[in-house]
Amino acid sequence: MEEINVHSKKWSHLQGIGLFFLLEIMICATALMVEKQTMEILFYFQALAAITTLFFVGSDWENIRHLLRWKSFSFWKLGACIVLAVLCSLIVQVLVFYLNKTVSPEESNNYTLYQYHPYGNYLMVLSIAVLPAIFEELAYRGYLMQKLLHVVDRKEAIYISSILFFLIHFSLVSFFWLLPFAVLLAYIRIKENTLWYGIVIHFTFNLSSCLVDMLYP
Amino acid sequence: MENENISYCDCCAVKYDAVDAFCKACGFPLQGTQQEQDFYISERNVKEIELIDLDEKVERARNSLYWISGLTLFSLVFVAFKPAPDEDISFTVITTIILSAAFLGLAVWGKTRASTALISGLSLYLIIHILNALFDPLTIFSGIIVKVIIIVYLVKGIKSVIDRDKIRKELNLV
Repeated sequence: MEEINVHSKKWSHLQGIGLFFLLEIMICATALMVEKQTMEILFYFQALAAITTLFFVGSDWENIRHLLRWKSFSFWKLGACIVLAVLCSLIVQVLVFYLNKTVSPEESNNYTLYQYHPYGNYLMVLSIAVLPAIFEELAYRGYLMQKLLHVVDRKEAIYISSILFFLIHFSLVSFFWLLPFAVLLAYIRIKENTLWYGIVIHFTFNLSSCLVDMLYP
Repeated sequence: MENENISYCDCCAVKYDAVDAFCKACGFPLQGTQQEQDFYISERNVKEIELIDLDEKVERARNSLYWISGLTLFSLVFVAFKPAPDEDISFTVITTIILSAAFLGLAVWGKTRASTALISGLSLYLIIHILNALFDPLTIFSGIIVKVIIIVYLVKGIKSVIDRDKIRKELNLV
């Protein structure tokens, strides 16, 4: 009886992951469908994804709660994380710049979306650095990974969560940096048993690219 | 006669001491009655047969990843022969080749990391078809039988991997 229970629990964890990921795909794909992107539309879809994430995290709150503690806090590690994230971001920025030049000549700077608004810069930081850092970490390194750990071993949980994180960005080109980045975040999450280092790295990484966009529009 | 106390388990042929009640390797009831021992062996045989069946299902799921890779590559034929002279097909061709290679890679990787490969493969497959369907709803129906078969095989494969890992653990094969 217990065996059947363990099995059906594993299967229900997988179903949870499947449902969550399908919803994420639907939200992101619909956002992609919108012909004329504006700041408001972008925020709308971000809010939708955030609410979905919160809903799923809430459904598994008992298991995820401990990840929001920061027992292993150290300034050294925090500093190292920030330096690492800035370095990675700059390298990726340079690579993407040259890649974009050769692959698609059209300009793709996020800055133009936010420019017109009086608080454009702040809104851009909020939308590119703050919100994704919190909610993507909560979703992929929080909910998804915690569920995966019930089903597969740690190594596979790192791989699967990273691959799903990469896939949801719908960008084949970013394979070279998004996947290693996700593996790094997942590894740190497993090793330190907290989401906060991941959030800091993710935030710093996105913020650096955001600042580069602002400085060189 | 110094080996008097050492014997080999009837079930898994691992050494055991005379004082052991159960085999340390497989859990065989060494001191049990004949009936208990027979029951244990028959249970184990059932599990082994189940394991073979699950291995087959996982293998089928892995094969469907090869199939997806092949079919993706095959779809290039339609792109190449579609009369759209002013359209730049190089982007489609490159994307298709990358996707095909990705599925091929996952299929090969599935030999060692079956659950990762199958879950990733299924996700990628679903994403491709959901995106296609959003941009052109009619694509859902093209080859829908093949799509359903592939998805069923992949889902069954993922389910089998979980069961297989559990049985392997029980049989001490990990």
